[in-house]
Amino acid sequence: MKALLLRLEPVIWLLFGAGIMVGTLLLPGYLLTVALGAPLGVLPAHALAFERAHAIAANPLGRLVLLAIIALPLWKGAHHTRALCVDLFGNGSDALVGSLLYAIALAGSAAGVLAVLAI
Amino acid sequence: MARPANPHAMAPSRPGPTRTAPPQVPDDFWTRPRMRTYLLFDATGVVYLCVGLVALRVAWALAAGPDAWQALMTSFSHPLYVAFHALALAAALFVGVRFFRLFPKAQPARIGPAKPPPRPVLQAMLYAAWGAITLGLLVVLGGIWPS
Repeated sequence: MKALLLRLEPVIWLLFGAGIMVGTLLLPGYLLTVALGAPLGVLPAHALAFERAHAIAANPLGRLVLLAIIALPLWKGAHHTRALCVDLFGNGSDALVGSLLYAIALAGSAAGVLAVLAI
Repeated sequence: MARPANPHAMAPSRPGPTRTAPPQVPDDFWTRPRMRTYLLFDATGVVYLCVGLVALRVAWALAAGPDAWQALMTSFSHPLYVAFHALALAAALFVGVRFFRLFPKAQPARIGPAKPPPRPVLQAMLYAAWGAITLGLLVVLGGIWPS
């Protein structure tokens, strides 16, 4: 398993790097509006009413941005959580922990593709 | 907590005449300021992982229809969700500030004939992109444009 993770390292690093860069560029705007602004009533009621939110997300660019907000933080999160486990608990179970975390990221990304296509 | 930190990782292929003690991780390694910031940077990964999974819920709610969307917005107003999303915002800002300072230092001196811009310029470009994208999302998702 360790050998497989090493072989996949370039792909994982690409997604991890995109997660740090693109994910971080997108997250404040998303968090301030969808995650905090609308639920707390800070935004005007029409801003993220279902019809408008759906129309934005159904736009091709909207689908792409939403998929980036789902998938890229998952890969950044999986890789950094793996690194945190190595830092705190050592290398012993790295192959198992790494595989599990990347499996979550992969499954979440696949579910994200299905979800944005279903919008 | 003290243990050899992979003592063979840097070992020479053939043992030399001088024997060295295996490296040890000090017990209080996590209290050192640089290490603490480094661990905190890694720990944002846990938050990002959860943000990605919650964003998946957002997409499913949009696909499921108005009732699911309304239920999502109601659950997002729960104090636990609000606290989590505030933590996620703090994590994203921390990652951005740290990574955009690191990014210019990690660039190659040149790629073929192209040289990267000077570090302060590159850093300013990253911050400008961050601000522009955040502003763009606030305008679109905040209901200003398209109205």
